[in-house]
Amino acid sequence: MQSSAANLLVLVPLLPLLGAIGTVLLGRRLGPRAHLPAVAGIGAAAVVALLLLLGTAAQVGAGHGDPLRPAEPVEMITTLWQWATVGDARSGDLSVTGNGGLGAPVAPGTANNGGAFSIPIALRLDPLTATLLTIITGVGLLVAIYSIGYMHDDPGYPRFFALVAMFVFSMSMLVAASNFLLVYVFWEAVGACSYLLIGFWYTKPEAARAAKKAFLVNRVGDFGLAIATFLLWMTYGTLDFHDTHLADGTIVEGILGQIRLADEAGYVGGAVGTAICLLMLLAACGKSAQMPLHVWLPDAMEGPTPASALIHAATMVTAGIYLITRSAPLFVGCPGALAMVSIVGATTALVAALIATVQNDLKRVLAYSTISQLGYMFVALGTGTMLGFTAAIFHLVTHAFFKALLFLGAGSVMHAMGGVIDMRRFGGLRHVMPITAATFLVGAFALAGVPPFAGFFSKDEILATLHAKAHPEAHGSDHAEAGSAGERPRDSSGQLGVAASSPFRPASMTLLARRGATGEHGSTTEKVGLDALDHPSTWRLLFWMSLLTAGLTAFYTFRAVFMTFTGPVRVPKEAGHHAHESPPAMTTPLLVLAVLSAFAGLVLFVTNALSSFLAATPSLTAPAVARTAVPHVFHWDIAIQGTLAAAIGIAVAAIGHLGRRSDSPQMERYLGPLGTLFANKFYFDQIYAALIVKPLEALAMVTAFFDRAIVDGTVDAIGQVPLAWGSAIRRMQSGLVQRYALAGVVGVLAIVLALAWQLRP
Amino acid sequence: MIPATMLTNALLVGAVLFCLGLVGILTRRNLIVMFLSAELMLQGVSVTLVAWSRYHGDWGGQILVVFVLTVAACEAAVALVFVLQAFARTGRLDASAWQALREENLPRVIDQELPADDRVVPTWPHLSPAGVLPEGDDSRSLERDHV
Repeated sequence: MQSSAANLLVLVPLLPLLGAIGTVLLGRRLGPRAHLPAVAGIGAAAVVALLLLLGTAAQVGAGHGDPLRPAEPVEMITTLWQWATVGDARSGDLSVTGNGGLGAPVAPGTANNGGAFSIPIALRLDPLTATLLTIITGVGLLVAIYSIGYMHDDPGYPRFFALVAMFVFSMSMLVAASNFLLVYVFWEAVGACSYLLIGFWYTKPEAARAAKKAFLVNRVGDFGLAIATFLLWMTYGTLDFHDTHLADGTIVEGILGQIRLADEAGYVGGAVGTAICLLMLLAACGKSAQMPLHVWLPDAMEGPTPASALIHAATMVTAGIYLITRSAPLFVGCPGALAMVSIVGATTALVAALIATVQNDLKRVLAYSTISQLGYMFVALGTGTMLGFTAAIFHLVTHAFFKALLFLGAGSVMHAMGGVIDMRRFGGLRHVMPITAATFLVGAFALAGVPPFAGFFSKDEILATLHAKAHPEAHGSDHAEAGSAGERPRDSSGQLGVAASSPFRPASMTLLARRGATGEHGSTTEKVGLDALDHPSTWRLLFWMSLLTAGLTAFYTFRAVFMTFTGPVRVPKEAGHHAHESPPAMTTPLLVLAVLSAFAGLVLFVTNALSSFLAATPSLTAPAVARTAVPHVFHWDIAIQGTLAAAIGIAVAAIGHLGRRSDSPQMERYLGPLGTLFANKFYFDQIYAALIVKPLEALAMVTAFFDRAIVDGTVDAIGQVPLAWGSAIRRMQSGLVQRYALAGVVGVLAIVLALAWQLRP
Repeated sequence: MIPATMLTNALLVGAVLFCLGLVGILTRRNLIVMFLSAELMLQGVSVTLVAWSRYHGDWGGQILVVFVLTVAACEAAVALVFVLQAFARTGRLDASAWQALREENLPRVIDQELPADDRVVPTWPHLSPAGVLPEGDDSRSLERDHV
């Protein structure tokens, strides 16, 4: 079983990789059937991923009824080969083990591994990975099939499918890698695929610029991930997630290995821990388009719509959520960093939703909606509770379905309208393309959070977990706070499946005690200030921000629906004879995704399958997370608030837009200066241009001047020296034989004189 | 074997001959005079060689002088041909007329203008043409007007 699962796990990334290579090699020969290798590879990978999901689910066990009982961690590691091994990487001045070079306490496991540095190419299978692999390959397959219709007459047809397959490979490796360095590698790889797909129509200047922007903005986040990886290695002495049993019987404790997870004091808090978490948050902000770094995602819509659906809505942008969920034990030790996650998320959600309300480009509405929904997931992650993490992944799953559906629907509209995507030029398209309209409506209901569509349940869980943090007293002892371990001492061995694994550390040594010790060491005070953010009043504010966002989400979603699909039929002239329903290759994925968007949330919520399944993810079995598990209940009060917000949003959208021509004056004219602010996207691009781009351009001009004037000038001057010499000496070549003779005589005289001088007595 | 005073005298004569030749070759412009000056230098060297040969009682120096005379004779033949050809080209024996091997773009060195040629070009009787006009290169005959 184990080895067959390992083989299957390797197949998931391998098959799309083979598909990509096959498309590259055979693409030109296959011509209009160039999609075959890629679609076959992704499709086979999707089947394998589904099998793995079912296998993992069987291993977790259908239902261990009591949600308060921590789940047994389920994981399977397969190491393919060792990538790099350095015997003693800690020699020299790098050592932080003894004196704590970072001015912070070093985790007990630091001496771990004796300073050896090894990077295994290790893949892992656990509930989180299995879930994400299924989403990636499943949505990837639907998008690839859709693209057969969407891209059919594009000259870059084979290139597109090769890139999509390459992306599925990279993303599968990203979520399956069991090592922070591998995660970093594939973090970059998905970024590269994203760059190539945004700039797919590279002759179009906007697309090339958008691709460059996405790449550069992501660099900022990637920088954070790199530094976080360095800090992790300095602190924990390994980068592996899993424990490694060496041949000589010693065990290298992985960062997210079961030994460390079971250990209450296994994770560093304080300044270093918070720094690691904040750097990871920076990385997640870059990849998942959160607030300071969100500016690339709206521009990324210059890429082909299927790529937007797959990469910039369903999968790649959720890498940040994956990273934080995977690193949950690191985060729960740092309440300040967790609060920052939520604050970033809630702010992004609200700001992006506000911007989305005045966008007129259908794809841009969806792009801002994606940013907003990702912010929602961050809010949930930041609560640091079991419900928060599972709710974030739950929302990730449902969002992947309905946002892919909405994007593909927008693509279908764009395809039929001859490339026009401005909603003001459409109207009444439900008569022209009924399937697209119906499926888009389903997606809109799911996004708006209307019961019983998928988004409702996941959004409800997110609001519930926020509410629990905001009102800890109302939820009683069900909701334990992550940081309060020290006040409620429990025998950790009593509540953990892996009991005998922490014999070296007293079980009473808690994270809080550890942080106290950090404070005595005099670690910086502003970190304490950051931790102070973890206060019910903060969470109350975040809850209301999220609720407001829910209402805005419903508003802008239905504004888009009403503008595009209702009212008198209006079709832009660019559409020509094309204005009809899209081919079956495009509508079939729409229908499949519509069914999933409509029912996946209900099924997963009622059966509680996803939450209990995810609870067996090793990262979420850490005691600090596991003890925050709460019974699975439906919060009527929150559901009513959420639904009310959605209903109000839809109602306002209906008042403003239903049945009107979409090019008539819009509601935003009532917003006054706020409307200008939203339409200009809070001037983020302008601020970045003024603060970063312009100074950098000035610096570039200075350096260019330095290069041209000083460096090139020096080289040219050196080149002038022989010329100058030559022009001086060439005057001697007079052609007069007597001058030559004179020169010869002078030379001989000089030699004679020199000899005489040398031979003088 | 000769006494040192005789050697000194002979060497002085050789040196004077050599220097006269050197000064001549550097200052005179006439190709034939320059050639003669070169010969003078050769003879100065030859005198020196003979003197040393006598002083050391070694025939090697005199043998070398015989070689020098032989080579000088050959050289005289070749050099005179060159001089004649040069004169045939330009009608002048001035060494400064030959500056074609100077560096490109450098102006021609003219340190002394030649006196104006005020001779009257003789008018030759015109005969009625007969036979074939010989092939001629006008550019080559340009400077031959007063040959």
